[in-house]
Amino acid sequence: MRVLVVEDERKTASFVRKALQAEGFAVDVCPNGDDALAATRVTPFDGIVLDIMLPGRDGLSVLRQLRERKNTTPVLLLSARGEVNERVEGLNAGADDYLPKPFELAELVARVRALTRRSGENKSTVLRVADLTLDTVTHRAQRGGKDIELTAREYRLLEFLMHSAGRLCGRMMILEKVWDYDFDPGTNLVDVYIKRLREKVDADFEPKLLHTVRGAGYVLKEPA
Amino acid sequence: MTIRTRLTLWYAGVLTVFLLIIGVGTYREIDEQLRHAHRRAPTEHAISETSEMVFEVGLPAVGLGLLGGWWLTRKALTPVSKLTEAITRVHERNLREPLPRTGSRDEFDRLTEVFNAMLARLDDSFNRIREFTLHASHELKTPLTILCGETETMLRDESLSAAEHERAASLLDELRRLARIVDGLTLLAKADAGQVALKLEPVRLDELVRDNFADTQILAEPQGIGVELTVCEEITARGDRHRLRQLLLNLADNAVKYNQPQGHVTMSLRRAGDTAEFTIANTGPGIPAESLPRVFDRFYRGDPAHSNEVDGCGLGLSIAKWIVSAHKGTIQIESAPARLTTVTVSLPLTS
Repeated sequence: MRVLVVEDERKTASFVRKALQAEGFAVDVCPNGDDALAATRVTPFDGIVLDIMLPGRDGLSVLRQLRERKNTTPVLLLSARGEVNERVEGLNAGADDYLPKPFELAELVARVRALTRRSGENKSTVLRVADLTLDTVTHRAQRGGKDIELTAREYRLLEFLMHSAGRLCGRMMILEKVWDYDFDPGTNLVDVYIKRLREKVDADFEPKLLHTVRGAGYVLKEPA
Repeated sequence: MTIRTRLTLWYAGVLTVFLLIIGVGTYREIDEQLRHAHRRAPTEHAISETSEMVFEVGLPAVGLGLLGGWWLTRKALTPVSKLTEAITRVHERNLREPLPRTGSRDEFDRLTEVFNAMLARLDDSFNRIREFTLHASHELKTPLTILCGETETMLRDESLSAAEHERAASLLDELRRLARIVDGLTLLAKADAGQVALKLEPVRLDELVRDNFADTQILAEPQGIGVELTVCEEITARGDRHRLRQLLLNLADNAVKYNQPQGHVTMSLRRAGDTAEFTIANTGPGIPAESLPRVFDRFYRGDPAHSNEVDGCGLGLSIAKWIVSAHKGTIQIESAPARLTTVTVSLPLTS
């Protein structure tokens, strides 16, 4: 997997590159939009992390140019402006995801993962992790053959975690996908819900499936 | 023409009018007396007639003088009351709108002109403060991004000892808190500068409240706080869904954070005339009267001794207030020590 990081701030570019490399991505860095456009002409990337505020040609303009050239590489926009409408504007311009600065590195990595894997997503209506199953049609959750009662929100949370099984899910990402919040409410809502879900899904069963990654988020996975 | 000249001219006019009345009256009376005097000598009767004349003509003249004076003062002070009325309407948001001028170049017009110039200077200063906050929060984001990123990178370093790991994690927690404060400040600075547009659409308030109620129950459970939704009428209003959810979550989060263990939170949503009224009450320790007017102020924490007990960015209620005002609604808080603390939000319903 090869990812292009377009970021003019040297230090930010550096730790984003390191974090992505640590996850097994090959990473190229471009400090400005024109270089990025040139790079995408010669190299096929699996994903692009694109800062909106760039010297010269800005990120949105790079994105529009890319899409005009029928380049469909998934793009994750980064922005320090955090404009309320910027997210919508970015998605309309053809971005696949949007992350306001300052972001959590784990969140960024998780999103890049999600982007680059998007095409091969599991289309089955029954999600399965170890002996935990979730029927996305009947909303029935079972573990070890026993039914698990879930509230609507818990169901959506579990569905999201199971769809991303094996991948780290950051708090903001969960708030966005499960709660549809486009702001950080500054509450421990996610943590409390995860705790409840863990009681239902993991408490009476082995092995444990729902894991906390300190300072990063949560991951639902079968132990290796 | 200056007001002084104008006043003098008017007063001269009025004086002339009632001097004329007195003059004419006296003249006619004396004339009559003289004609009588040709026939018989002046008597006691003539003297009392003269004093009658003084009362009959003089008193009405004095009355007229008073009326004229009153009219004059009113006329003179009208521009002052008009100016007062206009100045009353001035607040930090409409500094850019100048007070209406008469254009007559008199003292009051000049006063209005000077006042408008002062407003413009104030507006300029306000704008500079707003821009400063906006720029400051932008400028903070880049170093914050780097700090968060580097600390997270450190956390991933497996050669770190458990203690170092713990320290880095605690550092990251504080950095994230700082990031939330900067986020809140950016939002408010943008709102002040009128740069945040609401996405208005018909919103089912009862659905948002029910949703928020479910989340609040979960948030409150660890402290054993009971949450109740007493009334939830079906109400549709025009609003920004995201912002309204942020508002509800903000208020609910406060109601839980500032509560006591085993306390209660009570919510309701009902129609009140042409507004939708949402209330949320909690059994926290209450807010002293002197703090009450300031709870919506940015970073206001009340009793400084307790300010560190509750984790938060200190901007929650300011953001809540902004969201409500942006929807042309009102938000009120009622509280007293050892009494229920109730926040009431009223949003206008347009049919």
